[in-house]
Parts: sequence; structure tokens; C-alpha cells
Amino acid sequence: MIIWFQKFFERNGVVLSLYMLIVTFIWIVVMFVLPQIFMFDFSFRFNWTQIDPSKIGGPEDIYTLQHYKFLLFGSPNNPDPFNIVDVSVFARTILAAVFVTLFDVILCYPVAYYLAHVAKGGVTRLMMLSLVVPFWINELLRAFAFRILFGEEGTINNILLFLGILNQPIDFVRENIALYTGLGYAYILLMIFPIYNAVESLDRNQIEAARDLGSPWWRIHWRVVIPYAKPGITSGCTMVFMLSAGALALPQIIGGPSSLWFTQIIYQWFNTGSNWPRGSAYAVSLLVICVIFVLLIMKIFKVKFGEIGR
Amino acid sequence: MSADVTLENITVKFDEFTAVKNADITIKGGEFFSFLGPSGCGKTTLLRAISGFQEPSEGLVRIGGKDMTGIGPNKRPTALIFQNLALFPLMTVWENIAFSLEVKGVSKAERMKRADELLELVALPGQGGKMVNELSGGQRQRVAVARALAAEPEVLLLDEPLSALDLKLRQHMRTELREIQQRAGITFIYITHDQGEALTMSDRIAVMREGLIEQVGEGTIVYDNPATAFVASFVGENNAFHGTVTKVISSKVVVNTDSCELEAYLAEGSKLSVGDKAIVFARPEAISFVKRKNSAKNVINTEVVHQEFEGHFWHLILKGPKGMKIKMSQINDGSTQVYDEGTKIQVQIDPKQAIALAIGPLAAE
Amino acid sequence: MSSATILRLTTSFYIILFFAYLFGPLIVMSITAFNSAAFPRLSPWDCFSTEWFGVLVNDARMMDGFKNSLIIGFAVVLVSVPIGLAGALMLSQLSNRVRPVFYTLTISTILVPGVVLGISTLIFWDRMGMMFNAGYESFFYDGIVLTVIGQSTFISAYTMLVFISRLQRFDPVLEEAALDLGATNIQTFRKILLPFLKPAIGSAAVLAFLASFENYNTTVFTIVSESTLTTVLASKVRYGINPSISALAVIIIGLTLTVAFIHEVLKRKEQAREIALKKEGQSVKEKSTVRKPFRNPVPVMVLLIFVVGLGTAWMARGYDVQQCKIEVFEEKRKHQEELSKKRRAEMQKKLNTQKSTSSSDPVESTKKAAPGTIQYGNIFAPTNLEGQVESNETEPEIQKNQYQNIFAPTNLEGQVKSENE
Repeated sequence: MIIWFQKFFERNGVVLSLYMLIVTFIWIVVMFVLPQIFMFDFSFRFNWTQIDPSKIGGPEDIYTLQHYKFLLFGSPNNPDPFNIVDVSVFARTILAAVFVTLFDVILCYPVAYYLAHVAKGGVTRLMMLSLVVPFWINELLRAFAFRILFGEEGTINNILLFLGILNQPIDFVRENIALYTGLGYAYILLMIFPIYNAVESLDRNQIEAARDLGSPWWRIHWRVVIPYAKPGITSGCTMVFMLSAGALALPQIIGGPSSLWFTQIIYQWFNTGSNWPRGSAYAVSLLVICVIFVLLIMKIFKVKFGEIGR
Repeated sequence: MSADVTLENITVKFDEFTAVKNADITIKGGEFFSFLGPSGCGKTTLLRAISGFQEPSEGLVRIGGKDMTGIGPNKRPTALIFQNLALFPLMTVWENIAFSLEVKGVSKAERMKRADELLELVALPGQGGKMVNELSGGQRQRVAVARALAAEPEVLLLDEPLSALDLKLRQHMRTELREIQQRAGITFIYITHDQGEALTMSDRIAVMREGLIEQVGEGTIVYDNPATAFVASFVGENNAFHGTVTKVISSKVVVNTDSCELEAYLAEGSKLSVGDKAIVFARPEAISFVKRKNSAKNVINTEVVHQEFEGHFWHLILKGPKGMKIKMSQINDGSTQVYDEGTKIQVQIDPKQAIALAIGPLAAE
Repeated sequence: MSSATILRLTTSFYIILFFAYLFGPLIVMSITAFNSAAFPRLSPWDCFSTEWFGVLVNDARMMDGFKNSLIIGFAVVLVSVPIGLAGALMLSQLSNRVRPVFYTLTISTILVPGVVLGISTLIFWDRMGMMFNAGYESFFYDGIVLTVIGQSTFISAYTMLVFISRLQRFDPVLEEAALDLGATNIQTFRKILLPFLKPAIGSAAVLAFLASFENYNTTVFTIVSESTLTTVLASKVRYGINPSISALAVIIIGLTLTVAFIHEVLKRKEQAREIALKKEGQSVKEKSTVRKPFRNPVPVMVLLIFVVGLGTAWMARGYDVQQCKIEVFEEKRKHQEELSKKRRAEMQKKLNTQKSTSSSDPVESTKKAAPGTIQYGNIFAPTNLEGQVESNETEPEIQKNQYQNIFAPTNLEGQVKSENE
């Protein structure tokens, strides 16, 4: 170990070595790891800041599972066996995130493939650019755009009424369609580019060879392209899932009354609930589920971590 | 101005692999010295050890008598010309050349003046304002040399600098580099796998194989009096006749080979006794047609396989009695006949030009 | 048609649909910015107006948030670019065993949900503040500082990726050459490595700024009592949307397209120069590069739209919005009058038929009629008409918003709190 440090300092000189080591240390430890640990620790503490600030650091500032219990079982006065509201919201958030992920894979895979192999030079550049531009526009503004489209007096309703398909406007927002479409839309870029990168390096000759051997196009994709693109698909799925499960802006703007998102509950605990430890516990739970999901995906598809990057 | 370089028993190991074994030589100040050997023989490692990028596992490097252990490459009085030249792509030609002065804090005016001087020296006057990638291969070479010279090193190290150039340019640069070296008077340490380069440019050559220095000497000596079988087969072309020693008479030996009984002289410093396995080496130009049939020594009956014309040489590829391939070269003085394949001819090897060496590994074909 | 053709047509159709999905919402939103109606919509289209841009600029909270977003953006660039650079340099020097661990750690900052990063940053510095017994004014509790820290945690990973990709194309032998010529490590870094990284520094800075500007999930927790443009926008859900948001969208879309266009032009010039230089010894011809960008359709289209937009705006200067509004208002009034005439007629009919069928109860029928007339009586009063027309537009929206929020009481309270804090 010490030899490594010696060689490192030799190679880079004192100033640069210190710069690299100190800065990366601050980044990873002080800005990232320590806060996570503190949050984790905090989730096991009583909410003294609200109840009785003098007790902080004192003998009564012990650990408790109170908040996690609350997440699962609700308050002691809860007539139901479980904290139905919170748990169901949690479950629904995760399921919805899975659904959105699947939707995005199916939506984006053809486009990524088209971009990588079918489109020619100039068209490719045009398409790339037109994919990237919408995403330079603020996530919130895009959410509002969806709000405008899907509202009761929104454009889609107007068109459908105009065409006579509907007699009454559909409340898309209430039906959560707006939210899901919005979520699907939001992370398209993050699904397309990993798949594109993975598929692009596939030797077109393999596809030609398969076609030559008489394979129908769907089988070519199933047996040749998709296995090759697996790392890209996995990395895209990981990102979309994490971002959907952790989305906050979209549910707040185009979420309907019945599509409360778990992140919104977390936000409440910090705002109105003023129960930071409880909020932390909820946040930790979300984090844990996300990590489990990612590990599961990586295991199922046998993909290593190093493949995720822009 | 120029310094001696002494390698004192240098060994360089990378984990399990030993790249250089017990290298121990002294390169004289002002000398044009070459390390010659096939890829992987350790010559680059040795160069990096001298320039300071690689600390030897054992032994030490002295430059000008001073021990260089622990001294980094930027503090050694050496300048290295890398194989891919490593010219700074984002700088102009004169910025490249003046770089070593820039880091010392020399004023801009002074730097420009010096750069122009060096451009004159390497025959690239007025090219200072161009970007590196606007120059041709040969021009870039010369900029690399100018850049190294600007650092006013006592030792200039060159890592196969001509390998990327085409033949004509290579030949031209050989002469140029030699001239520059003599004008500047600096010690040049040059590494290459091309023995033609080594022979034409160097004062002395060290032939290396798998980390070991097999022979050090002037070009003529290394060529005419190779110390080992490897050196004999690597430097220049050589026909190798394997056999067993039957007689030893002072500095002459008789070796019984497949092709015939050969009389050769014993290499200096080589000890052979009767019964030893040996190789007799004869250069293609040492083989000639039999003139006086009866008193000729070292006569071999061969069959023509192939005839090649290479400008100033005719080469005949012959097949010996047991199938051994023999190469014979004749100067193109207009007297050479063209032989059909299969023609049987007798050739002879001049005993004074045949050298016998102990058996050892040969250069790869 | 052969199956291959069908396949190709379907694919093309799909691709077109996809891009419609992608651009549709944005185009719609942009158009609504010019509709004078109080709620952003395409139809009914009231009047063409640019008044909402004015409303946008006069919105103090929005402007305050915008200012903060700018400050935070610049600060994040200053923090995350050096961090990303250090990370990339470290990564290039680590052994093959340690490298994946380090890489995983740094990439995790992007994968961890933004809300978690925000919360953890908030809690950590809060506890730190307590440990040092710092006052509430200190930086431990300052929304701007915390947001910069929280955002930089993951944005540094983005910048690091940019640097890694650029570093991979760097020839390490150049560093050795510099050292060999006598440069110190710092000089090598400054004179050889940094100039090479310059374009990457530029890209990383732009990336960092954009990522910071549009961040919400992390910011909303770390911003505490301040606000950024994004948090202000999000809180508008409660106050009701008006087309000033669409106006904002138009501005941002316009800026983005312009930047994209400039970027394309610059990239093409760079490429043209590289190709020209590859031919040895030739000097670059500057003239030909100007014509190249116009071969690509996108910049041409964008430029066209821009020009058309400007032209329309210029021509529309003589067009008076107020006049249009009054006209629209008049139309609506007429429409209402006709409607009410119709209803009156129907009511008359009903009364008549009622009179004929049930003559026994004139009192009741009049009673029935009375509430009706009272209802409709309101409509007839011209002053009431104005109220009716306007409130038709605004009231339903506000009502709707209210109802939405009532069903999710948490939303309502959450937004209230964020306004007050």
C-alpha cells in the first residue's frame, strides 16, 4: 500500500497528488458516503427536534425502530393490520416504475436499433439531435406541457371532442394515464442511448448472415441483436427504474388524486409532518428497494456494473 | 557538453519477467552507440533506465560519472526521442522545440531565436509557425531531434526513430542523424532492430538478445568477428552450417557438417575442442563458384533452387547435399549468368571468411 | 406489397409517431404561450398575444428563483468540474483491481435517487451544524450552499465521465516527453494535459450548468427556505397555471435550439478543419467551411422558423391585442345571448305545455318558473355577463385545481408550506 502511495506521489508530484487525493476523498466520503450513513443513522432516532430539542445527544437519544414500524404497520391506533395507505403507495410506486421501465424498453428499442443500423449518415445526425434537444428542456416544463395536453380542457380532449370520438372529456389526469405517459416520456433518452451504444457496435454482418440463413426479422432480433444489446438494455432499465421510482416533480404536477407517489410521502414528512427521522426512514426504504432491484436485474441478466455510463 | 554513460551491472525485473540481465558497459562521451536486437530483447527497457523512466531492480546508471539512482527523468542530462516522436500536437513547431527552454523560464525572444537556430541545424528553416500535423514524417523526425537538442542534453537517446519511415527516407535520415551527431558532438545512444542502420551509423554496437548483451564492438568487428552464434546470424545475413568439430589446429578448426567438411577459423575468444558441437558461419558474399577444382577447399555440391536480382547483388538460393538452404551473393558486375532451377553447380567457401562458433540460439528467421 | 416493404413502412410510421410523441407536447405548449386565454390551451383560441411573456418577467417569485438557479448553477460548475477532473485522473492511475470499486462508488452518485441525495445532504449538514453549535445564519443551514453541495455530489460524476472519455484519447507518452525535456509535474499538467482537456472542460462546464439548472428532486430538499426556478415552477401547481409558463417554455426551447444550432455549426467547422489537416502539408481553406452548415437540414429549418417567427412578430405589431380581446368578448356575449334566448324559448314552451296539461296548479308552476327566471335573470343583466364570461374561463380552472388538491390533501399542504418557508 505504502509503495503505491510513494509511486503515486513520484509520478504526479506533491501538489497534484494531494489535489487528486483530497478532492476525491471529499467528494466520495464527505459528500456522498457520510451523508448516507448519517441519514441511515438518523432514521433510527426519535424525532427530538420536534418533540423536545433538549434531549438531543442526551441519554434518551437512543435508537428506535419506531419509524420503520410506522411505515409497515401505521400508528398504534391503526385498526388495519398494516399501514395500508403507505405500504400500498410504496408498492404501487415500485410497480408503476417497473411498468414504465418495460414501456420504455419496448418503446425505445426499435428506435435505438433504427438509429444504429437503419438510418443513414445525415438522418442519423438529425435524429440524434432531435432526440437530445427535448431533453435539454427543463423536466418541469415538460411536465407542464403534459398537463396542458392532458387536462380536461387540454388539447387531446379538444381533438377527441372535435373529432366526435368523445362526448365528454376524459379526465386523463385522474386516470393516471397522464402520469404514466409523462414518466415514459421523461426518460426516453436514458433508455435509447445505452441501447444505441450497445447495438451500434454489433457487426452488421452478423445480422446479414442471420438473414441470409433464412431467419425472419423477429427472430434475428430475439436471438442475435437483443442478447448482444443486453448490457445496454440493462443499463437503460436500471436508470429508468431508479428515476421513475424516485420521481418527484412529475407526480406533483401531473399526478392525479389516486396516484400518490412514495416520494411525495417522503416529502410530506419533511414539510408538513416535520418528522425528519421518519422521512429518512422512508427514504432509506426507497433506497434499499432500488438497490435490491438493480442487483436483481444485474444478476438475472448477468451484467456487470462497469457497463453503465453515457 | 557530452558525457559518458556507464551501466553498472543493471538488471531490470518486472514481477517474474527479467527484461535486462546484468548489463555492464561504458559508452564513451561523444560516441554514436547503438543497441541492436530483435523486439523484446530489452533494449527499450535499457533506454528507459538510462533516461530515468525505469529504475533498475539491481545496479545503477552513471552519467558523467554521477550516480543517477533516484533522479527523475526531468532532472537527468538526457533527452529521449520516442518511437512515435511524441511531438506536442497542440503546439506549433517552434513551441515544441523551445519547450525545454520554456520550462526553464527563458524569455520568449530568446526561445524563438534558439528555435530558429535549431531549425537551421536540422534543415527546416522557416517552418517554425506550422502545426505539427502539417508536417511530413521526415520533417517531424527532424523537429523531434531539434526539440531534444534544444534541451542541451549530454546524452541523446533515440528509440527506433526511423522505423515508421519508408526506405528512401530512412536511408537519407541515417546520414543526416549521423551528421547532426558529429556537428553537435553529443553522445548518441540509438536503439534499433535494423542492423543496416546500426552498422552504417554507429561507432560501436551492442547486440542484445533476451536481456543479455552478447557482444559490444565496432561494426566491422561485430560483422566479421561475431562472438556468438546469435550475433553471427543476426547481424547481416549468414549461412549457418551445423556440425561437430573434428580437428583443432591453433586458430583453425575442421568441422564435419551435413554439407561437407568445412575448414574455418576460430572466432576470437571462442574455445572449441574436438567433439564439440559447432556452427560454421559463412556470409553469402563469402561463397563463390569453384575456380581451381582440385585445390579448392570447402567445396559443396549444390542444386539451384532460385535466383534473385537485388540491384547491386545477384542472389542464388542453393540446396546443399542434405537439403540445407544456402544463400550465395555475387556482385552485379555484369558477369553473372542466369541459372535454371535444378542446375547443379559447385560452390566453395573461402576458409578465411568462414568462422566457427560454439553452438547457440540463432536469430529467428 | 412485399413483407419487407410493409416492414419498412411500419417502421417508418412508428418512427414518425415516436417523434410526434417526443415533440408534440413541446410544440403544443409553445403555441399556447401566444393564446391570450387565461389557461394554456389551443382551442378555443382567443387572441394572438404576447402578453404572457410580460407576465412572466413581472413574476417576482419566478425571477427570484431564476436568479438563484443561475447562482447555484455557476457555483456547481466551479465545484463539480475540478472534482470530476480529479476523479478522472485518479481513475486512470488506479490498478485494475481498485478501479472498478472506485468507478462503482462514483457512478452510484448518479444512480441513487435524487431525493435521497437531497435528504442525506440536508441531514448531514444539519447534524454537523449542531455539532459545531452553528447559528441558523451560518452556511450549514443555507439553502443555496446546501443545494450546491447536494447537486455537486452527482453532477461531479457527470463531469468525471466527460473527462474520462477525453482522457482516453490522450497519449500518455506526451507526458513522458515533457518530463524528459525538463518539465516538473505541475508544468506538465499545466502545459500539456490541461490544454488537451480544454474542450472537455468546456463540455463539462456546460453539462454541469444545465444539469444543475434543471434539477428538482435533490434541490427541493436542500433549498430549505430559498427557491430556485424549478421549485417555483413546481409550486405553481397549486396557484394555477397560466400561459406564462408556456412563455417560459418558448424562451427555453428557443434558447436550446439556438445553442444546438451554434454547436452544430462549430462542430462542423472543427471536423472540416481536421479533415483538411490530415492531408499533409496543406493549409486550411477557411472559405469552404462556411457553406457546409447549410447542407444539414436541421439548422436550416431552425433558422427558417426563427426568421418566420420574427417576421410574424414584426408584422403583428400593428395588431392590437386589446382590440382583439374586446372583439372576442363581444362574440362571447352574443353567443351567451343567443343561448339564453334559446333557453327562454324552451322555458316558454315548457311553461305553455305545463299550463295546458296541469291548469290546477298555477302557483306551483309559477313557483317552478320563478327559480328558473331568477337563474336566468342573472344572465340578462349585462354587468353579470362580463363576470360570467370571465369566470367561465378562470373559475373552472381554479375550482379544478382546488378539487384536485383536496383529494390529495398532502399536496395542498405541501405546497402551502413551501410558499411560507
